[in-house]
Amino acid sequence: MLGRKSARLAAAGVAMALALSACGGSDGDSGNAGGSGSGGTLTLGSIVAPPSLAAAESSWANGSPYVQAVYDSLLRQAPDGSVEPWLATEWSYDDARTVLTMTLRDDVTFTDGTPFTADVAAQNVLRFRDGTSAQASKLANVADATAVDDTTLQITLTAPDPGLLTYLAQAGGAQASPASFDAAEAATAPVGSGPYVLDADRTVIGSTYVFTKNPEYWAPDEQHYDELVINVFTTAQTQVNAIQGGQVDATNLIDNQSGPQIEGAGYTIQTVELNWAGLILFDRAGQLNPALGDVRVRQAIAHAIDRDALLEGAAGGLGTVTGQVFREGSDAYDPELDDRYDYDPDAARDLLAEAGYPDGFTLEMPFFDIGLDPAFDLTAQYLSDVGITVEYTTIALADAFTQVLGGSFPATLFYLSEDSTTWQTAQVSIAQGSTFNVFHQPDETVAGLLSTIQTGSEDEAAAAATELNEYVVEQAWFVPYYRAQLGFASGPDTDVVLQSDNAYPLLQNITPAA
Amino acid sequence: MTTTAAPTDLPAVRTLERTARVSLVRRVLRSPVGAVSLVFLLLVVLAAVFAPLLAPQDPDFASARDVLAPPGGDHLLGTDGSGRDILSRLLYASRLSLSGAATAVGVAAAIGITAGLLAGYYGRWSESVASSVSSVFMALPAIVVLLAARTVLGPSPYTTMIVLGVLVSPAFYRVVSAAVAGVRQELYVDAARVSGLSDGRIIARHILTVVRAPAIILAAGMAGIAITLQAGLDFLGLGDPQRPSWGGMLSDAFAAIYREPLTLLWPSLAIGLTCIALVLLGSAVRDALERSGRPRRRRRRDAAPPAASLAESVVVHDEPTGARAEELLHVRDLAVGYDQPDGSTTEVVHGVELSVHRGEIHGLIGESGSGKTQTAFAVMRLLAAGGRIVRGSIEFEGADLATLSEKEMTRLRGRRIAYVPQEPMSNLDPVFTVGHQLTEPMRVALGLSRTAARTRALDLLARVGIPDPQRTFAAYPHQISGGMAQRVLIAGAVSCGPDLLIADEPTTALDVTVQAEVLDLLRDLQRESSMGVLLVTHNFGVVADLCDRVSVMRAGRIVETGPTRAVFATPRHEYTRSLFDAVLEDTAPRGPLVPTTQGAQA
Amino acid sequence: MLWFVLRRLAAGVVLIVAIAVLAFFLLYATGGDVGRRILGPTASADTVAQKNTQLGLDKPALSQFADWASGAVRGDFGRSWFTGQSVSDAVTGRLAVTLSLVIGATVLTAVVAVVLGVLAARRGGWVDTAVQFLSVLGFAVPGFLVAILLVLVFAINLDLVDPTGYTRFADSPSGWLSSILLPVIALSIASIVGVAQQVRGSMLDTLRLDYVRTLRSRGLSERRVVYGHVLRNAAGPALSILGVQFVGLLGGAVLVEQIFAIPGIGQTAVSATVGGDVPLVLGVVIATAVLVVLLNLAVDLLQGWLNPKVRRA
Repeated sequence: MLGRKSARLAAAGVAMALALSACGGSDGDSGNAGGSGSGGTLTLGSIVAPPSLAAAESSWANGSPYVQAVYDSLLRQAPDGSVEPWLATEWSYDDARTVLTMTLRDDVTFTDGTPFTADVAAQNVLRFRDGTSAQASKLANVADATAVDDTTLQITLTAPDPGLLTYLAQAGGAQASPASFDAAEAATAPVGSGPYVLDADRTVIGSTYVFTKNPEYWAPDEQHYDELVINVFTTAQTQVNAIQGGQVDATNLIDNQSGPQIEGAGYTIQTVELNWAGLILFDRAGQLNPALGDVRVRQAIAHAIDRDALLEGAAGGLGTVTGQVFREGSDAYDPELDDRYDYDPDAARDLLAEAGYPDGFTLEMPFFDIGLDPAFDLTAQYLSDVGITVEYTTIALADAFTQVLGGSFPATLFYLSEDSTTWQTAQVSIAQGSTFNVFHQPDETVAGLLSTIQTGSEDEAAAAATELNEYVVEQAWFVPYYRAQLGFASGPDTDVVLQSDNAYPLLQNITPAA
Repeated sequence: MTTTAAPTDLPAVRTLERTARVSLVRRVLRSPVGAVSLVFLLLVVLAAVFAPLLAPQDPDFASARDVLAPPGGDHLLGTDGSGRDILSRLLYASRLSLSGAATAVGVAAAIGITAGLLAGYYGRWSESVASSVSSVFMALPAIVVLLAARTVLGPSPYTTMIVLGVLVSPAFYRVVSAAVAGVRQELYVDAARVSGLSDGRIIARHILTVVRAPAIILAAGMAGIAITLQAGLDFLGLGDPQRPSWGGMLSDAFAAIYREPLTLLWPSLAIGLTCIALVLLGSAVRDALERSGRPRRRRRRDAAPPAASLAESVVVHDEPTGARAEELLHVRDLAVGYDQPDGSTTEVVHGVELSVHRGEIHGLIGESGSGKTQTAFAVMRLLAAGGRIVRGSIEFEGADLATLSEKEMTRLRGRRIAYVPQEPMSNLDPVFTVGHQLTEPMRVALGLSRTAARTRALDLLARVGIPDPQRTFAAYPHQISGGMAQRVLIAGAVSCGPDLLIADEPTTALDVTVQAEVLDLLRDLQRESSMGVLLVTHNFGVVADLCDRVSVMRAGRIVETGPTRAVFATPRHEYTRSLFDAVLEDTAPRGPLVPTTQGAQA
Repeated sequence: MLWFVLRRLAAGVVLIVAIAVLAFFLLYATGGDVGRRILGPTASADTVAQKNTQLGLDKPALSQFADWASGAVRGDFGRSWFTGQSVSDAVTGRLAVTLSLVIGATVLTAVVAVVLGVLAARRGGWVDTAVQFLSVLGFAVPGFLVAILLVLVFAINLDLVDPTGYTRFADSPSGWLSSILLPVIALSIASIVGVAQQVRGSMLDTLRLDYVRTLRSRGLSERRVVYGHVLRNAAGPALSILGVQFVGLLGGAVLVEQIFAIPGIGQTAVSATVGGDVPLVLGVVIATAVLVVLLNLAVDLLQGWLNPKVRRA
């Protein structure tokens, strides 16, 4: 069970890691719950152990509670994703939006006694940019960070970056004590200014992380607990067991199909949909598989799939059937596009015949365990119904990204995140340079629309976004099946407000029940 | 697991071995457990072979509209989480499990048995090479190695099973090399070597016979382990997810445990029942091969008395005139039987009548298998498992030993009735010092203190002619010679001052020169304490030399009895006379000595 | 005796070095893009390359091995690629947890197996049949199913113990006991069965030996014969099996730790092997090998104590 379940975990990890690029958002100012109840131990469940606890190597998404426990970030996010003051109390851009000036608090010290200053903040920003966090590239536009004075930080950009403030509210803005920068044990002995301090003695790296309250914390109202424990669950079964045994207060779920058991134990499950599951037809020009170069073949594939059955069969119905890769509510989203390709095997066969494949063809795809087993089986089933023979090559999950992103296959089944803006989504999977446009195929229409989105007025951009979505759906580069639900369970003693753009709720929004 | 210690006076044991080999399948089939498990395994194999014909559906055909369908209707066992027919998958999966297990066992056997034979037979050098290799394999938990091997070699189930085979081959190696090392020392292998057989033929002829049983049992067990481990790996998601496998099905079912727990049952049953059948088959084979199922150990068809002898009466010679000392032991109409698996009892001693008087040595003579040792054991109530006194009485000082409780018997043994066995070396406990084995009974039976027992033991050792009692006292059995060991055993027998001594061929296993000394010693001790002695022997010389009276046994009954002088002077029974003739022709009337082998542990 | 121990230890060191070298190059051969595995699909190619450089993966295999080996000789086994923790810390910390389980299971196995084995061998009849039946069941039912069943029944339904996690003895002795109780039971079942069968078998074999009859003929009570002599003689083979089972238990801990979410070395073994965390895998492999070498030495010394015939000078 462990491999498969840990694969499931890894799958969820993939999903949520992907989800982490979903960020940014409007400048709303809705406050967070910020309750002042306090005391006791909060035991959280997590499905990943962080690769490092050092600020410059930390990541967000599922890794966020580890970062938030120890570190303060320059800014903070509200549950809807909007940015709020935190260590930086005020900030402003210049007109060109390439120089960000931030005013920092002067009453913050790290837990080793070192005071927090603008100079320290500048070092942290640059270290993150140059470090090996999975998100290091988020700060790639940062040209330099300097301290104007002790409380004024100036960040200069090579180009405007609408996501920067969000990144600075996440791992990219995490502030570590300079004394810990080059410590030998930096990865396992974090020193920040945050609400909690790692209890190294009781922590088992990789499995259980124990934090105790930082007695000198500058914002004691935000410390809701005396102690914070994060347990890593590697299998769905242990997770459900721990929930049924009342051993966790709140946790995200590896497999939310155990909902009835979890709710039966008195827990509440809240869900968000941050990813879609479905086929990515990388080989848009037919380099590996000529058939995929024909749009009719791709459309035939889209018609061959019974999405409703797949949602039921592969996800137990927990999700929403979709036909587009853009997030609901984004300017590109168009509910009508979800029905562009209905389940119609006859139409699929006709399209194949039209394209010159009346007897179908063979499609090579990777098979890896990301918790979508039934979807793999069912996909092969539906495609074979219309004459397409799927040949799966089993690859180890550990090497799946490398192989899939390395262009070894013309198509794959995958989880992909739905980022909050059209621009970001396009940068992940549509634009020529994007990671999931594996063969980096150019497309003039796409390039033109993206340019409008980047530089045009708000209205122009929105129109271009919608047009882009229509074009992408028509091209059938993706065959999305459904948006998968991510579940988060919390016990009766714990209140949780989910984060709209993150797989894990932010720490300040997990509070003792009123 | 182990070869049985063949009882030394059983006739024609080797003939039995041969018949056992011939009818092995029949013997296995005769035990209900063996039959059921063999038939079950056969069915699984057939199901695997004919899966394409039997399966109602393509095992990979997935129907999203039919996910987790309950049993019945189109799907006899229901469908799994992807809407695939469970029965079809189960049938196809058995192919993978069985061929995988066969691969692992085959590889393990090929490596382990070969290495074990070589190491065990050629001894030190090859043994040390093989052991160091095996210690590398054994130094890591198999699952960790398999995890790593899978990363390196890919997820093919056969590669994994080959690696597993290599990993578990030390199990074969250990069993085989231990068995071979044990056998290597045996006389008949030396004899074979002397008679010019090549090593290869010696291995083939003698050693493979010995290791065959443990190897078969091990193979059955290992197949079970391979199936379980393979299922475990598949269950972990480390198998080939595209092939139906029992473990993979278990994993799929497990993912749906709260939605449709029943799906967990089928693969669990398949794995569990197959492994159970393998284990049971292994033990059925063992029982059939070695008759280690205890009651069925002694099949003594060959020892059944000829019908003609049933009617024969005992030739009794007249007692010489004059008063005999008091009677110590009187055996009346003693019959000994062994329980058979079919519930019947096979009698091996039929109505023996015998008496031993104080101060008298009574010889009990006969061929191997004539029942003389069984008679002696019956008197001490120390028959092998399954054996019992069927009828008759054994009067010893007014009590009937045949009906005493075990507790009362224990009190008599050692103190009143003592025993000197035939094989000195195998009758000393190898893990205790001679001193411990001498003093323990004295402290228990006579209540002597540690020091008193020690003093007495040293005296006794000196008395039985051991040159350096202190040293022998502190020695372990393997550190002393056979003759010394027999003296130790005699010392032990007389240590608590018994009235009756039962000596079972006390000199047979000794050198000729030592034989005479030991006999002298026995006679001296007997005279000193005027014990009664029941001397079991096949040697007329010993009888003539030592015994006051003699009883001749044949096929479980006494044919002639009386004062030694009278019987020797005028043997009246035809059988007695033929024995005398045989002695004159200088051919031993004994059957072949069957070596005792033990220690081949799984 | 001292010479024997030293020789065995030297052989053990050779063995461990051999295993380490073998493991290093086998794992290295698996290659793959470690940086990508650590950082996931969202990291940029530059960051991945930087990560690989940081880990020294851009160097040739031999030079990587030299780096690792020169550290290992000084007791520095490097850092885990996936958590940044020093391998020595990771392994020693978790080994203590696993040893709690494995030693607990070994003790339980020894006690229960001897009781069952002796009962089966002595009583025969239905007792023997029952023990055999249990053995077959214990052997045939996969351990992970037993473990899951135990959790469902005793931790979830009856709520007697916690279903997951591990409490350190130092923190709470009773909590420790309750946290290892089910895992130890789940772990022990297969080994109990194996050892009980061996005890039964060698008891039966020993009971048939000549000296047992002789001992009885000396007037020793059944109890004294069985427990003082037969069991002692039968203990040798049983001890060998127990030694083998100990290694098996270490393997079983891999599964059990996973099912009970216990932060032991087995859990690390799986995640590190699946992920390809070479330094950590090497640490686990070496720690296990050291343990097994020491164990085998202890078994041999015990065998010598049990059986003077195999005692060496």
